[in-house]
Amino acid sequence: MSVEWIEQVLQLTVQMGTVYLLASLGEIYAERSGVLNLGLEGTMIMGAATSFIFSLAYGHFAAIIMSIIVGALMGFILSILVVDMKLNQVIVGLALTMLGIGLSGFITFPEIRKNLLLRLNPYLPQEILATQQSEKLPEIPIPLLSDIPILGKMFFSHNILVYFSLIASLIMWFILFKTSIGLTIRSVGENPSMADSLGVNVYLVRRVTVILSGAFASLAGAYFFIGFHPFWREEVTAGRGFIALALVILATWNPLRAILGAYLFGGVETFQYRLQLFGLGAQSPYFLAMLPYIVTIITLIIISTESIKKRLGAPASLGIPYSREE
Amino acid sequence: MAKLLAIPYTVKIQKRTYITRKVSISITFLSLILAFLVVGLIFIFMGINPVDVYYHITMVFSSPTLLFESFKRAIPIGLAALGLSIAFRMNFWNIGAEGQMYMGMFASTGIVLLHLYYGLIPDYLVMFLMMLAAFITGGLWCSLPAFLKIKMKVNEILTTLMMNYVAMYFVDFLIYGPWRDPKGYGFPLSAPFPDYAKLVMLLGEFAYTGLLLLSLTAALVYVILKYTKLGFELKIVGESIDTARYAGINLSKVITLGGFLSGGVAGLGGLTIVSGIIGRLRPRASPGYGYTAIIVVLLSSLNPWLIIPVSIFFGGLFVAGDILQAALKIPGAAVEICQASIFLFIIVGEFIKRYRIMIVQKGGIE
Amino acid sequence: MEELVSLRGIVKRFPGVVANDNVDFSLRKGEIHALLGENGAGKTTLMNILYGLYRPDSGEIFIEGRRVKIESPRDAIKLGIGMVHQNFKLIPSHTVLENIILGLKEVGLIINYKAIGEKIKQLAESYGWRINPSAYVWQLTAGEKQQVELLKLLYRDAKILILDEPTSVLTPQECKILFQALRRMANEGKGVIFITHKLDEVFAISDRVTVMRRGKVVFLKETSKTNMSELAQYMVGRPVIFTIEKKEVQPSEEVMVIKNLKAFNDKGVLALKGVNLTVMKNEIVGIIGVTGNGQQELVEVISGLRKATEGSILIDGVNIVNNSPEKIIKLGVAFIPPEPLKYGIIPNLTIADNLFMKAYRYKPYSNGVLINWKTIYEKSEELVKAFQIVSPSLSAQARSLSGGNLQRLILARELSGLIGERIPRLIVAAYPTKGLDIGATEFVHKTLIEYSRRGSGILIVSEDVEEALMVCDRVAVMHDGKIVSVFKPGELDIEKIGLMMAGVEIAST
Repeated sequence: MSVEWIEQVLQLTVQMGTVYLLASLGEIYAERSGVLNLGLEGTMIMGAATSFIFSLAYGHFAAIIMSIIVGALMGFILSILVVDMKLNQVIVGLALTMLGIGLSGFITFPEIRKNLLLRLNPYLPQEILATQQSEKLPEIPIPLLSDIPILGKMFFSHNILVYFSLIASLIMWFILFKTSIGLTIRSVGENPSMADSLGVNVYLVRRVTVILSGAFASLAGAYFFIGFHPFWREEVTAGRGFIALALVILATWNPLRAILGAYLFGGVETFQYRLQLFGLGAQSPYFLAMLPYIVTIITLIIISTESIKKRLGAPASLGIPYSREE
Repeated sequence: MAKLLAIPYTVKIQKRTYITRKVSISITFLSLILAFLVVGLIFIFMGINPVDVYYHITMVFSSPTLLFESFKRAIPIGLAALGLSIAFRMNFWNIGAEGQMYMGMFASTGIVLLHLYYGLIPDYLVMFLMMLAAFITGGLWCSLPAFLKIKMKVNEILTTLMMNYVAMYFVDFLIYGPWRDPKGYGFPLSAPFPDYAKLVMLLGEFAYTGLLLLSLTAALVYVILKYTKLGFELKIVGESIDTARYAGINLSKVITLGGFLSGGVAGLGGLTIVSGIIGRLRPRASPGYGYTAIIVVLLSSLNPWLIIPVSIFFGGLFVAGDILQAALKIPGAAVEICQASIFLFIIVGEFIKRYRIMIVQKGGIE
Repeated sequence: MEELVSLRGIVKRFPGVVANDNVDFSLRKGEIHALLGENGAGKTTLMNILYGLYRPDSGEIFIEGRRVKIESPRDAIKLGIGMVHQNFKLIPSHTVLENIILGLKEVGLIINYKAIGEKIKQLAESYGWRINPSAYVWQLTAGEKQQVELLKLLYRDAKILILDEPTSVLTPQECKILFQALRRMANEGKGVIFITHKLDEVFAISDRVTVMRRGKVVFLKETSKTNMSELAQYMVGRPVIFTIEKKEVQPSEEVMVIKNLKAFNDKGVLALKGVNLTVMKNEIVGIIGVTGNGQQELVEVISGLRKATEGSILIDGVNIVNNSPEKIIKLGVAFIPPEPLKYGIIPNLTIADNLFMKAYRYKPYSNGVLINWKTIYEKSEELVKAFQIVSPSLSAQARSLSGGNLQRLILARELSGLIGERIPRLIVAAYPTKGLDIGATEFVHKTLIEYSRRGSGILIVSEDVEEALMVCDRVAVMHDGKIVSVFKPGELDIEKIGLMMAGVEIAST
């Protein structure tokens, strides 16, 4: 195992982990305010699909912006259904995931994709209309820092969204724990009726955090597609939204801990591909594919144990709709 | 953004005390129409003529052959939904019917292969053992999260969901590996099942045998929930775990057993896929029947009898999806969109039935 | 004198009840106004309307002479109204400071913990309180939590303070501190509304008193111009009976013997620190104490809902510590739980379901697999009559019953001998009359006394000292996880009992 090999694995670990990190950041806010967004997977795949289409039609910048908008929209729909109408968060989230997978499935069909692209931009050349892939986001190595052995590759030789995810984690941690906005969000998730009695608009807070979770999940999908693996196939995100959901728990609803958890999951997945390259996992790639899910289940078991739960308890009103007057 | 979302009007929601049957039915009907309208708009946006799509969907329910095909699809969906109705009764959010079905497929195929390759089991016992194995394996796959929930308070929504993927990859492994048919030209398929391992023997046709199996299971589930000690215990556990503990109910036993039955019935559903619809095991043999079952059971409001017609409707949508893909080159995903939006609109409709929604101007200091 | 609040003609209906029926109420600047009434008289509803938690169906609200519409607590806070609820609305996992500044615009975006903490400390000191702003709320005592609640209002410069039964969780000494602080606030020109159902508090603290009964205001006077018996009459609508008839029966054999019992509470803190107690046949033993001194944990351990770490509980000589609830039920231990709606009743299920929540698994109601619904319904019919439960039908949801009828339903289930066809050996009743009206309370008292005379041993946990002294044959005072004193009613005066509840005085008995 050369240094180069280690550098490559670590770089890929961070790149893979960024998918989970981005998706979990928004979800941390939603869950801190008391809403479980199970539509994460559907939102993520919509983000990937949107970024695919828009990167072909108008380039990377449009792809990122549009995927954020689409995700926010899906978050908005979810928020109306579960925050305002107080419908069951689990089933509405799953329905939204089905909707996302279904909608994104359309663009797998070349004919439909072509129609869509031409509608967006009638001047696209033929080869773009027919392609299955889009151009990858460029890597922007940070001068000097990227030359540091190992760390340079790991943290300073990535595309813009990886840097963004790290900065966003810091900012979102600061907002959550050091500002009055964060205090409001945490309070709404712990005791909405109390927050209400102090004049906090519980519904508004939850609406905003759920929209945020949609936007981030969709951005995660966009990153996964144009920033990591720009080849379209049906169900391209393959359940990664659900893994992000588990990451939120592993990170105990803390954006900084989410960074560590995300890279752990990213590492597991990278390792799986690497082993396959070495022929080690060749006979059983399927067992390695199970690994993230099994790690997640074990994580769930560990953080559910009494002694750890006491210190890192879940938001007290997670999953419970709030209504003022019974 | 926060300012923008703070609308100066507020929605006032009030519980309705009374609603006529007529109004109730028309709301459901309206929800369905709205769902199809919205889906139609999506189709238009994608450049597909929605009339074509709806034409093919109606075809499914008017043509006897296609309706027959829908019955077939309804059987695994219905069985999974019946299983879920047990779990949901005790407020156990099992969204792992898909994985439990894969475990059922795994177990029943295992029995067939044991028989074919090693001749361990006599012909007449194969079907019985397949059912038993599918039930037990599916059941165990669900009792694990149930056990974790009651013993360690592990959230079952996430465990059952994650275990779906584990089960699916496990079946992938088998079928791309040790269970691949040596005579299958390298395709990822198991050896084809002999006739006595298929659900045709009793009535000559899978749809009939399957519907019989579905109805019998529905009757059994109905009796369990309504007339047995376990059914009563599931009901109390579902309403309040604290009260159930106070009443002296053995929570570990009830929840683990409830989970076992729930997964077991879903496992049987898995069996009907390999031994009824396909006739052998292949990877990704379920196009999401286990998730559709969640929608079915909720739309049937946990009523075992209602589950049968609702599954036939959703089975029909799957058939329609296949036809659309073949005839119109429209992705089968269209069906998923239909399912999800029908579901969303109907639960919103249910909400409107229960509550009166009024939009009033926000008050303040006059 | 200037009027801070004036409520006129307030009407509020809930399904099936008129909680406020054309109510008028006023609060003046600098006064402490007691709002007196029994549980369910409509006091809290009225104050929730003033605080914007409920919207009135009709009526007008004036604040400092201006007519206002209060749609939410946000509006109320803007108008300078603050409320301390009966159950504290604090977040245990947040700090004192975070609880106080939640929802405040002046704090700004980034919280300046140091400056705000200093301000809170000074504010607290001006009322004679010592509070650490960076302590977590779960570390505080009940009295300190209440101070935090008040600081929350004072920090917001509230002019109108509503306190909903603020003394129910306090020791007499903590009450004194609270009353001093409230008087100081009134002297500063604030108005204080003091909701209570305790007569002595009205005289200890208030300037004026309004009495409510069944949703209406029935009385309003300066406190100095009225007296206890007048208020009591208006409150209950008839002269209060302060005695209850009890047949003398000699307690014979020991039903339950608790020895050196230790157990943890939910937070992992030792809540029972070696409890010793005996309950005899034909005897009612009462446990009194300030809420949160281990009473809840004790009844949970007896009924098998909580594990004990040490000690024993013998029921007729059989040690039941850490047995399953089912085993304990089978031994003849009945349990009337606190908060019926949390444990004791499932509102969505039928009355028959609720009656047979425990007995469904025994013969003749079940053969081991199937349930015999016919027998259950026949027996339910009988029970509903015997316990005078007023209900539309046996298959009606329990949620349709009133509080008193729910408690009758629980009594019917627990006491009527559905299991093993005999009356219970031991009845554990936790706060059996909390939230009930006088009539229902009397029924519960009478029923419990009747069963004790018929041979059950009874353990009642109560937060109402007078109830305990009236009903029980022996009373035990619980403080800090221990029984600090056991005495017979009449042996000790109420001041001394109060001091023992506060842990100040340990009795020599």
